Amino acid sequence: MSAPNTLTATEIARQIDAGTLSAEAVLRAHLDRIDQRDADVLAWSHLARDAALEKAKALDRGPRKGLLHGVPMGVKDIIDSYDQPTGYGSPIYKTHQPLADAATVALARDAGAILLGKTVTTEFANRFPGPTRNPHNPAHTPGGSSSGSAAAVADYQVTLATGTQTGGSVIRPAAFCGIVGYKPTYGHFPTAGMKANTEWLDTIGAYARSLDDIALFRAALMAIPYRPIEAPLSPPRIAVCYTHHKAELSPEGRAAVESAAAALAKAGAKVTEIDLPAPVSDMTAGQKTLSAFDGPRAHADEARRFQDLLSKSLREDKLAAGAKIDHTAWTAARRLGEHGRAAVDALFDDIDVILTAPAPGEAPVGLGFTGHATFNLLWTYLWMPCVTLPFTRGPNGLPVGIQLVGRQHEDARLLDLAAWVQGALR
Amino acid sequence: MKALTATEAVAAIEAGTLTAEAHVRQCLDRIAEREPVVKAWAHLDPELALAQAKAADAASAGVLRGIPLGVKDIIDTHDMPTGHNSPIFAGTQSFGDAACIALSRDANAVIMGKTVTTEFANRHPGPTTNPHNAAHTPGGSSSGSAAAVADGHVPLAFGTQTGGSVIRPAAYCGVVGYKPSFGEFSRVGIKMQCHSLDTLGLMARTLDDIALLRAVVLALPPVPVRRDGATPRIGFCRTPIWDDAEADTRELLERTASSLAATGATVVDVSFAPPFHGILEDHAAIMGFESTRNYADERLRNPDKVSAELMDGLTRGLDVPLERYVAAQRKAAAFKAHVDSLFDELDVLLCPSAPGEAPKGIEFTGDPRFNSIWTLAGTPCVTLPAGTGDMGLPLGVQLVGCRYEDDKLLSTAAWVAARL
Repeated sequence: MSAPNTLTATEIARQIDAGTLSAEAVLRAHLDRIDQRDADVLAWSHLARDAALEKAKALDRGPRKGLLHGVPMGVKDIIDSYDQPTGYGSPIYKTHQPLADAATVALARDAGAILLGKTVTTEFANRFPGPTRNPHNPAHTPGGSSSGSAAAVADYQVTLATGTQTGGSVIRPAAFCGIVGYKPTYGHFPTAGMKANTEWLDTIGAYARSLDDIALFRAALMAIPYRPIEAPLSPPRIAVCYTHHKAELSPEGRAAVESAAAALAKAGAKVTEIDLPAPVSDMTAGQKTLSAFDGPRAHADEARRFQDLLSKSLREDKLAAGAKIDHTAWTAARRLGEHGRAAVDALFDDIDVILTAPAPGEAPVGLGFTGHATFNLLWTYLWMPCVTLPFTRGPNGLPVGIQLVGRQHEDARLLDLAAWVQGALR
Repeated sequence: MKALTATEAVAAIEAGTLTAEAHVRQCLDRIAEREPVVKAWAHLDPELALAQAKAADAASAGVLRGIPLGVKDIIDTHDMPTGHNSPIFAGTQSFGDAACIALSRDANAVIMGKTVTTEFANRHPGPTTNPHNAAHTPGGSSSGSAAAVADGHVPLAFGTQTGGSVIRPAAYCGVVGYKPSFGEFSRVGIKMQCHSLDTLGLMARTLDDIALLRAVVLALPPVPVRRDGATPRIGFCRTPIWDDAEADTRELLERTASSLAATGATVVDVSFAPPFHGILEDHAAIMGFESTRNYADERLRNPDKVSAELMDGLTRGLDVPLERYVAAQRKAAAFKAHVDSLFDELDVLLCPSAPGEAPKGIEFTGDPRFNSIWTLAGTPCVTLPAGTGDMGLPLGVQLVGCRYEDDKLLSTAAWVAARL
């Protein structure tokens, strides 16, 4: 029998329902794993061992609470919790205790999830890194900014976790750590209680080790009825898109997309290669304009009262850069987003899903740089749902994934299509 | 003594004929005199306000050098409690300042205190009364901000609008209210209700003051309101709910449209394309779906401390299926593009700020629908005071601009205001 910390949430829920597993046993298995591995991975900024154990016992005594009954969950430390400190990856908030749960935390708890702890984030979900290491090789970054969430799920220290993406902060770390990452359509997961980075872009996302778990977690986080994933019976129309940043892909990143595309074509999918329509062909600068403009506004309080406690990269790349952007440039970036969304939506008359890279390649060596968000920025800006699936390994033996991008608002369909893709690539 | 506008007070302070401290004392005196009736303030600490004023006098700098500002009590302040008019948060203190507060402090504004909001900027009212007649509501949810500005307690205040919570109370209280383009002002540190709709707005007694505070919140140089612009092309937009406006409001709008035309403006009738006649239902679907999720912690962990009205609304929100929400979001995106297209040939839309005067009683803060349309459209809106209605209470006219052209809207509004 598998150790309970290696089970998926779907399996945990089934076994707890069947009475063959207790929430307490699930939780203890995760705590054992954390005891073995925490010093190497450093995924947690706060761990609520005792409270989580008490919660597991309480759940075992009571009736089934919901979809995630007894499932341990990690929450990126940029998202508030009323009973655990929330540090936003910044010394300013070292001892900060919010008054309330963020909406996603409250909804997950209502479905029976156990908040095991808060996971390491880069400073304010920006660039300045935390201590977390890639569980596959501690000399490499796990990616960021949702570093701890991706690493903890990949390392079997927790079953599910939430992250946030403003540029590439959900999908990239999932790919670097070899797990399933899901960035919903912008606005689908409620953002109350999340520390804002760039309001036009910030999207809460989900991590798991299976697509079924993503669907289960999504239903809980959105408070919608759960429908298990159903892969379509007929092969989908898949558009391979390297974006105009193709030259920035590493050989392993490019090979992964190419070999996935070939395998999917062989499985019957209609695979084409597309270029994005004109307004979207290069939106990277626009994404950066949006993100930078918000910097000195969103962080006005920290900049005013705690200037010395901000990292140099935040001060220079966000606050100083944002102060130089005028209203006209900012408005152009907001308009570009709308035009791009309309243009790309029309593509889906002829395709079902876009296949692209989730990151340039394997996780870079070192912890100082969490990797390029080049292959994520565009989709975040376009508010489209994205999912990354583990696929292969690169030259350093580290995970290399693929990314599937769906039509805005059609998240359930994207997950169904991803299941078809995953089946075809097995 | 007549209360000074922010622009007047800044000029007097710069000229050395007034100190921030003296000005804040005048405002505090006015509050002390009127607060027993108006009840605009959820939290007021005169000593803290005076300390800020003295610091501003010492600094002798900043766009808002010592000007007092009222803050709706769903907006975080690091040195004053933020109660959200809810027993869940009564007396609690946030760690930080909301972005708009920090940016105001950067400009050396005095954060005067926290103004009464309805419960979580929703429907359950606070104690504030209309300063023109205490038997009437000031409107909501930014009740205290509108009343305090109207009654001369402060020249400036922050409110928020998810349906009609800035423009309507401003109109009911006879002040200038401004809801910017969606996304224009940072919402960091403002209690979230609906991420697709929530908008920070401003209240003042003049358009110049609105322009001044707008620059501060944007952290950009002030763009003065122009009064030398071309004669505007005005679209008279009665909206699909025109028949629900009261007679005095309909007459006011018809009269305003005629008199603006008589002064040389092009005035044409404008209506929404048929697919958007039911757009208010889409606003309701988005608001219901999002608010019940964003208030998950309150309704799940503290249900006994949530008012029955709010709990009813949140429960209804859970009945909105995801498919309906998505359809509403798609309709909203199309509606934004449709409203944008109206501005190909027009500079501004003219429409009611509210169905009529402030209703009697303080239990019901009024009908927000003439505002919810534009909150969903994401357009900038201004309400200007425009006389009184049958009960002798203020009426307003609402001017709506093209998205992201807020500076232009304020100048067009000045053109209109000069001819009202």
